[in-house]
Amino acid sequence: MRAFAARERGAAEDLYDRFASRIYGLGIVMLGSDAAAQDLVQDTFMKLWRSADRYDPSRGKLETWVLLVARSLAIDGLRRRVLESRVLERTGRPAEASPERGPDEVAETMDLADRARRAMSGLSDGQRAALELAYFAGKTSAEVAELEGIPLGTAKTRIRTALLKLREALQEQPRDV
Amino acid sequence: MTCDEVREQLAEHLLGTLEPPVDAEVQRHLRGCAGCRRDMAALAEGVSTLALAAHDVEPPEALRDRTLSTLEDEWTTDPTPARGLGRRMMWLGRAAVVVALAGALAWGAVASSRASRFEAAAHKYEAFLGILGGENVRVGQFDSSTTQQFTGSVVMYDSTVEQSWVLVLVRAPGMQGTAHVTLRSDDRTIELRPIEFEAGGEASTWLVTSSNLKAFDHVSVWGDAGIIATATLESD
Repeated sequence: MRAFAARERGAAEDLYDRFASRIYGLGIVMLGSDAAAQDLVQDTFMKLWRSADRYDPSRGKLETWVLLVARSLAIDGLRRRVLESRVLERTGRPAEASPERGPDEVAETMDLADRARRAMSGLSDGQRAALELAYFAGKTSAEVAELEGIPLGTAKTRIRTALLKLREALQEQPRDV
Repeated sequence: MTCDEVREQLAEHLLGTLEPPVDAEVQRHLRGCAGCRRDMAALAEGVSTLALAAHDVEPPEALRDRTLSTLEDEWTTDPTPARGLGRRMMWLGRAAVVVALAGALAWGAVASSRASRFEAAAHKYEAFLGILGGENVRVGQFDSSTTQQFTGSVVMYDSTVEQSWVLVLVRAPGMQGTAHVTLRSDDRTIELRPIEFEAGGEASTWLVTSSNLKAFDHVSVWGDAGIIATATLESD
């Protein structure tokens, strides 16, 4: 991030190559269109540059910070459209290999993505729904509880448990190919 | 808050959906609890996994050049020095200024002024700090969120070395009692000392800190029924 903050083109390219696909995908899921998703990518990188000197590594990983900046912008976009509810759709497009990445890096990323998707499918319906409402729709746990018809404590537990289960999935050893 | 209470709130704190006063309490607890910080780091890894699973989609190739070109345009037109390099500051001199200003506030010099002088004072502070390093000064005007008349200003001085501070000056005719004031960034909230309205509805609060305040760009004033007013801090 220091190099990015110092306006080094190479650092900007690295940052883009690492995070653009997840930011773009977030835009597709939350904002529902390719145009809005592309705008989200551009707006996110602009915000990352303008706040680069505010990133504090001691407070968390760069990846989390970048994703939450993008998500915050996407939620602002949603609020501007005064949308109260969305049907979340996946595009169904698998992650494609970037021409800039080497084969080992592609394989590792796809392995991680596969494990992540398996972890998502391992969540209960309730956990998945609560997490999607909290993450993609920016709902508070109280709003999740109301929408799902569950107690507040249950909503909090489902969101927390879902995130911890997903994290455990990445802690597992990759399968031997 | 206890660790059990904080753990219940950590997911929402991470996702930024907690009410600011509660968020500030969680933040305060995390600063002093390694165990809860580890718990939060685990949840953050869950967010990363979710991102990989749910929304990792390769964007159109043309977007890469477009985004990087737009960044370069921004770099070309942004007159500030490359961020992170900073200038060497006369720390003792600036710290002395901050202490003097904080002292003046503590003596009630500002609290006894009328609202019009409050706003003039805020602009004078801005001009004064501009002499010291204007690119680190930000100001904001409050917009009322209710039918209550509410005016005021926020001045924030971001220091690249040590002390940063923020000054909040407001006037709300007819308001009594106290209200909470919070500073907010994308992922953090800091609670300032509460403001206490005087007979004319004037009130003030401030914060002097060694923390970096550059990420904070919203100031909100809260009553029992919710937000009373909000100011957005604009850069020079």
